[in-house]
Amino acid sequence: MKKLPLGLVVDLRNVVPYKTGSWRTMQPLSIMQTPPCSHSCPINNDIRGFLRTLADKQDFDEAWHVLTRTNPMPATCGRVCPHPCEGGCNRRDFDHPLAINSAERAVGDYGLEKHLEHKKLIPKRKEKVAVIGSGPAGLSCAFHLAKRGFQVKIFEAKGEPGGMMRYGIPSYRLPKEVMNREIEAILRLGIDLECNAKVGVNIPMDQLTQFYDAVFMGPGAQLGVPIGVPGEEARGVHTGVDFLKMVNSGKSVEVGKDVVVVGGGNTAMDSARVAKRLGANVCVVYRRTRVEMPAITAEIDEAMEERIMFRYHTNPVKIIADEGRVVGLLCVQMELKEPDASGRARPVPIPGSESVIPADTVIMATGQAVDYDGLEVQKLDNKWISTNEMQMTSIDKVFAGGDAVLGLETVSAAIGQGMRAAEAIEDYVEGQVESRLSPPPVIYSKDLNTYYYQKSRRFQREALPVHIRLKGFSEIYPAFDRAEITQEAARCFSCGLCFNCANCYMYCPDNAVKKGKSGTTYEFDLDFCKGCGLCAKECPCHYIQMTLEK
Amino acid sequence: MINVNSEDLNRVEKKDLFASGHRACGGCGQALAARLVADAAGENTIACVATGCLEIFSSPYPDPNWRIPFLHSLFENVSAVASGVDAAYKALKKGPVNIIAQGGDGSTADIGFQSISGMFERGHNVLQICYDNEAYMNTGVQRSSFTPFGAKTTTTPMGNTTRKKNLPIIAADHGIPYVATATVDDFRDLQRKVKTALLINGPKYLHILAPCPLGWGHTGDLTVAICRLAKATGLFPVFEIINGKVTNVQKIQEKKPVEEYLRLQGRYKHLFKKGVPVKAVAEIQEIANQNIERFNL
Repeated sequence: MKKLPLGLVVDLRNVVPYKTGSWRTMQPLSIMQTPPCSHSCPINNDIRGFLRTLADKQDFDEAWHVLTRTNPMPATCGRVCPHPCEGGCNRRDFDHPLAINSAERAVGDYGLEKHLEHKKLIPKRKEKVAVIGSGPAGLSCAFHLAKRGFQVKIFEAKGEPGGMMRYGIPSYRLPKEVMNREIEAILRLGIDLECNAKVGVNIPMDQLTQFYDAVFMGPGAQLGVPIGVPGEEARGVHTGVDFLKMVNSGKSVEVGKDVVVVGGGNTAMDSARVAKRLGANVCVVYRRTRVEMPAITAEIDEAMEERIMFRYHTNPVKIIADEGRVVGLLCVQMELKEPDASGRARPVPIPGSESVIPADTVIMATGQAVDYDGLEVQKLDNKWISTNEMQMTSIDKVFAGGDAVLGLETVSAAIGQGMRAAEAIEDYVEGQVESRLSPPPVIYSKDLNTYYYQKSRRFQREALPVHIRLKGFSEIYPAFDRAEITQEAARCFSCGLCFNCANCYMYCPDNAVKKGKSGTTYEFDLDFCKGCGLCAKECPCHYIQMTLEK
Repeated sequence: MINVNSEDLNRVEKKDLFASGHRACGGCGQALAARLVADAAGENTIACVATGCLEIFSSPYPDPNWRIPFLHSLFENVSAVASGVDAAYKALKKGPVNIIAQGGDGSTADIGFQSISGMFERGHNVLQICYDNEAYMNTGVQRSSFTPFGAKTTTTPMGNTTRKKNLPIIAADHGIPYVATATVDDFRDLQRKVKTALLINGPKYLHILAPCPLGWGHTGDLTVAICRLAKATGLFPVFEIINGKVTNVQKIQEKKPVEEYLRLQGRYKHLFKKGVPVKAVAEIQEIANQNIERFNL
């Protein structure tokens, strides 16, 4: 006789688990969100994406491809961008923001070193687009269109492509070699470039609108605007743009012993630092104070390091010339009164405070304007090109972007405009009204559970000592150590996207978080999830959120 | 001191030996702790569980959640039953096997205290685990000797007037080789302590703070955060006692006032009502300070 076991026996193989999922009122959901870095980036670069690629795989190759999905010139932007992304970084409220700018430069330099090529998304389509100007806006627009298979031709008025990147930015900030190679990589997508062809002068605009399906205008703001001080016609007086153009195109410029730069913008800083490298004593004259200067803060700091004098509250009254050549600048002291229309304090001259600053060269970096020679478009304030929300100008099928639309802005802002114009052109050509999805909401520090992050040191780039810097036009920041950059990338919080910390997996009291097939993703087992919200609370990057039960 | 591969000890285990489908409340600290313990102990384990929440929610016929042998005993005798399992294995010359006797604070500190004390004294190879949720939660939140000062239960509606019994020290004074405390927020630490304990021959005691959302009056998602605060305020010191010596004390990184911990929980709400003297909060802070001083947190 078979002996039966004593008591009650449960065969665990036959157990049907009780589905506790029916208790739930709230349900966890993995929602990818926009990190603040991408949100504050004018190009909306996938910063989290490329940093996580560096941190997880140490793969600079893939990181370069992630970055160049939006930004065709990472090595350039990694040098000249004032990095608003770092201002947005959620790590700022924890210890220090990530050195995103340095990481971008390291990735861009890797791409140049390994001769990485951009990939086309769509091989070929029949539509043709003309791009006016080969500055950052034009190149970015051409790049994004060529990637989508458009046949693009760029018309450049000057002898070489690059626009203000070539003629405005001195090579100690952006070596010409870096820019040239990034431009070549863009052109290798099959973009035609015609130099010395000024649209409106050599080629009429009507011809372009007739032959092409769409036209993008990125003429930039390349005309220096003096403020109308008496004596500006004297020899040795330049506008900032002209001065930089002369130096950057390799002409030898005699600046003499004393140089006075008027203005407080980026062009003023560049002109002052270039003049200093040409061996002059440089003095920057500005009407207001450092706080109101529109230049990038780091640029002002570096200029001060290079022993450039700053005279605040000082306004030029008259340029003093002797036999047609400038010898000095008559200035008056100002005091600041209530703010004007631009929101900055309004300077008012103090009577009887005039003084003369001796000068062999005076550089008026006081403003720039668009060269409208032969271009007939509707303008805003009679200064900048007016566009609608699709970046189309008053002329049908003509789009515009860059400094000519934004006013004086950065390389990154121009690249971002070029990218958005390319999207608009694609929509326009395909006859679509709105094909873009709005991005997910931005995630801020308050949403993060920072308990799981460790405080760490920020990557510091090392500048060359000032006495070496001033000897020539070589780059201020030597190349970075890649190991340090991957270490820096690992500091990224990965705001709004899973980085495989496994907190949800380990903390679920109901075992309702399962590993996905790849082993790096996590899924919710809604049969058993009771909706307690522990996973959402303990998710460091707010990727998991509690939502109402459907 | 035991000499083992530290990588083995520090590895996080998840084997689903305590499976989904149990009837614990959402965010239950005890369910989380029981799962972490079972996964750390591994398949070669016999789980003896005293009457209490854990037994009720994890073992109803016909769908128990344990994927390891499970023994249910009375409220007061889980340690005696576990001792019997150990004796049986020795008599049958079988094993080795991990024997874990588990219970809530009621069965450990009050009702089952004599059987635990006996088990420690007889020197059985059993790991005694206490899931400390600071009251009799299963029967409807009655005061136990683990209920901390000031906490409200149904039998202490004006707040508890006595201090919490310090069982880890009492257990250590039995002269047993390993005593440790842990919380559910640091699962690495918890699993390491379970594994360390199971490597030692003889009676071991592990005290785990396991918040009860229902009895403590907080939402289920705060279970882990509250454990973290209990450590950061100094109210729950985390340490190991190996052969009578306090070691591996988890230092407080950033000290927090107890008020932050108390404010999150409904059972301390009466302390912050208008017109109530704030002496109680000061006394709880005093308890925390004494802990910090005593264990050098």
